[in-house]
Amino acid sequence: MIPLSTMLAQSKPTFWLPAPVSNFAGPVDSDFYFVYWVSMFFLVLITALLVYFMWKFRTPPGARAQSQNDHHLMLELVWTGIPLILSLMMFWYGYRGYVAMQTAPSDGISIIAEAQKWAWNFSYASNGAVIPGMSDDFNDVREKVRSGEFTAEQAAVVEDKILEKAGLHVPMGVPIDITVMAADVLHAFFIPAFRVKKDCVPGRTGKVWFIANEAGIYDLYCAEYCGQGHSRMHTKVVVHETVEEYEKWLEIAGSYDETLPFDQNGAIVWKRRGCISCHSVDGSKKVGPSWKDLFGSMRKFTAIGRPGELVADEAYIEDSIRYPMNRIADGYPPQMPVVKLTDKEILWVIEYIKSLGQNSGGEQNPRKEN
Amino acid sequence: MSQPPMDAHSDPQALAPPVAAPVEATGPSYLTVTKTISSWAFTLDHKRIGVMYLIGVLFMFLIGGVIAMLIRTELFSPLALITPLFADTVEAQADMYNKWFTTHGAIMVFLVIIPGVPAALGNFVLPLLLGAKDVAFPKLNLGSFYLWLTGAVFFLYVLFTGGLDTGWTFYTPYSAESGTAVIPALMGVFVLGFSSIFTGLNFIVTIHKMRPPGMTWFKMPLFLWATYATAVMQVLATPVIGITVLLLILERTLGIGIFDPRNGGDPVLFQHFFWFYSHPAVYIMIVPPMGIVSELIAVHSHKRIFGYTYIAFSSVAIAIFSFLVWGHHMFTSGQSTTMNIIFSGITFTVGLPSAIKIFNWIATMYKGAITLNTAMLYGISFIFLFTIGGLTGLFLAVLSIDTHLHDTYFVVAHFHYVMMGSGLVAFIGGLHHWWPKMTGKMFSEYWGRIACGLVFVGFNITFIPQFVMGSLGMPRRYYTYADKFEGYHQLSTMGSYIMAVGFFLIAYYLIQSLVSGKKAPANPWGGNSLEWHTTSPPPLLNFHEVPDATDPYDFENLEYDPVTGNYETIKSA
Repeated sequence: MIPLSTMLAQSKPTFWLPAPVSNFAGPVDSDFYFVYWVSMFFLVLITALLVYFMWKFRTPPGARAQSQNDHHLMLELVWTGIPLILSLMMFWYGYRGYVAMQTAPSDGISIIAEAQKWAWNFSYASNGAVIPGMSDDFNDVREKVRSGEFTAEQAAVVEDKILEKAGLHVPMGVPIDITVMAADVLHAFFIPAFRVKKDCVPGRTGKVWFIANEAGIYDLYCAEYCGQGHSRMHTKVVVHETVEEYEKWLEIAGSYDETLPFDQNGAIVWKRRGCISCHSVDGSKKVGPSWKDLFGSMRKFTAIGRPGELVADEAYIEDSIRYPMNRIADGYPPQMPVVKLTDKEILWVIEYIKSLGQNSGGEQNPRKEN
Repeated sequence: MSQPPMDAHSDPQALAPPVAAPVEATGPSYLTVTKTISSWAFTLDHKRIGVMYLIGVLFMFLIGGVIAMLIRTELFSPLALITPLFADTVEAQADMYNKWFTTHGAIMVFLVIIPGVPAALGNFVLPLLLGAKDVAFPKLNLGSFYLWLTGAVFFLYVLFTGGLDTGWTFYTPYSAESGTAVIPALMGVFVLGFSSIFTGLNFIVTIHKMRPPGMTWFKMPLFLWATYATAVMQVLATPVIGITVLLLILERTLGIGIFDPRNGGDPVLFQHFFWFYSHPAVYIMIVPPMGIVSELIAVHSHKRIFGYTYIAFSSVAIAIFSFLVWGHHMFTSGQSTTMNIIFSGITFTVGLPSAIKIFNWIATMYKGAITLNTAMLYGISFIFLFTIGGLTGLFLAVLSIDTHLHDTYFVVAHFHYVMMGSGLVAFIGGLHHWWPKMTGKMFSEYWGRIACGLVFVGFNITFIPQFVMGSLGMPRRYYTYADKFEGYHQLSTMGSYIMAVGFFLIAYYLIQSLVSGKKAPANPWGGNSLEWHTTSPPPLLNFHEVPDATDPYDFENLEYDPVTGNYETIKSA
């Protein structure tokens, strides 16, 4: 594994725009600067006229205007015509650039980016691996840099370590075809350096494509407000220099170490698949119930509008993961998304929850009596 | 367009000599005629209703502004700064911030800017501009005010019972599942919608039926054109938001799947419904301020407004096109490419009339006799800020650029330049312009100019950095942010403090003017529209004698009296 942080982008951000590192950055930036210079011209013109007239024609109260002329056909035609032509040009540039963004080549690498509150998961079509965004880990690093606990170099090392098994990874120079989805509410997939953005709409899919031009690490944000953790739903995009390097990374990152004990893998699943953003393991209350001492406890819930009670055993937890809307635990909002875990991942999570303390107080579930 | 709109020779009535303005009040004014609380609470006088609206709107502006200061202070650092004063856990602190920006937006849009110009200033000025005794339906007018008050109570209830965290846009499915007080807020929006519709209806009928003899459509002051165009939008667009919030309430209470995909609904449908109202609403917020600025620039330049017909028609054009551009809020939502292209194209057509209005205002100043008093300074500030607001709108109308800029601080800065830098600045300009008429008192021009400067400078320092960080990729509605944006946020926060000082200064000298301000003459600025032809403040029925229509932009027959500070009408021979 090469240290990712050594892959410094050559392009630098300008005053207005982030470093241009995708195939769309060039066209979008030139559209931006066209509109920018047209706007600057008119802003300077209008401001100069305002200030000049304000100064030149200022009078004490009671003075009479030098002229009462209220129309000038030629002038009006000019200032209608020129903005009209300029806005048609802007429309045309925007149209051209946008249609290119909507027209993905068919030979791209397919990745599904699924957003949930408040995590990203990236599924790679080539081997089915699901790689998490690990937003919390990146936020921790950022906060430790702020508090002085990490130097920039230490932070880079830690981030490299996280990125070994996290983030959106793509190779350079190849079309990347991303399908965006949302598990719960609206989110938006936004990579400023690539100039791409698409809303992740639950129940629908969206398409984003791009070709990354420079190897490096870039920011990926959620741009559509999605509640409490919106501003922390941040992860990294890694652009590998070659397809081979990317494939090598994917093979390693996509696998679990199956020699580890189940509960340890469960802890990895908890972090990787975003359970961490709503379920604590230390008893503190987040959006969902804490997993500490959960197993075997008596759960009160509402199922299809009716109250119910069950012991949190294996079957209860599995049901809660697969069909989170079936039973809504009392005192918690009905907000859990369907996170499509594999059978093994579910097994590991259950073992992990067991390892966080068990409760034997509750009676057995009626349907498990025999 | 080339036709001089006020050609006196084409209309014999315009040749009638204008009446001399009565300088001395001959009886009690609308403020002094009765003094009990119930005479205010049950008043049918448009002026008193306007004043009550004004007090209410300014109070809500204070609340929305205090929340804005909390937001800006919190964003001074990417770490938790002041939210820990209000909440214990990290999660609750993030929730607190989300509630702040939501309530700030909702209060400012629904309770301040939308009713600000039409309901507060419009109510006071519109019948006066028409030379009428009142609006067409005075009881309905009072009803509108109490609906507004009810809406405000709903929002205050939301504010003091856990807040609202959906964003002012109420996007589903988040708003369908948020645990905060969504339903009271939606009820508030619903009720405020009716207030807005009734006001619009009232103004349409008033302008159609109550113009004085001689005031044809093209002899109306431009503020009336703007108010008329706005009223049409209010009546046609507002029912859509009413239906939308009702559907969302049904979804939340009964679980009917309309917008929530878990129940078979479509979240993008909500966005269509929402913006079908809320885009016209943007013009409900900006067209009346444009009308104010047309008055400010002409009166304080003492010069005939340039391109009258064009400005009048552009208000109407904006009102029509405003219904056809809602999809430009949704370029990245996943609506079809074809729709995006069509919406982008139409969006440029709505930009054009606004651009030309700016040129018309500047041409009005050319060779004028410009008195640089407070109201005029706000007018000039408006032109500059609205130019920036409009030009940055071009970036967002261009499809390719909007893909990058959508939902970033660039958008935040853009709409603050339009809503606040233009809308509110014009509102405050109009407030100063008509303050002597409303209260009968002159305020301190000295402090007025200083406060205008503070607001102008503070505003630009607040929002220019937001353009830069937005185009660099800072998403909006972020409680915490990447360290590289810290400098921009700090600059922005400092600007907002300067602006706050400006607003408090305004409050101070305006209140002071009520206590110890100089008595206002009937026509302190030299305007010629009808409100300047009655006393300041006007009597209960507005005019001592029924006035004839004047040419609102004929400033040649006014003579300044330096002793009284009044512009006297010269009786023509």
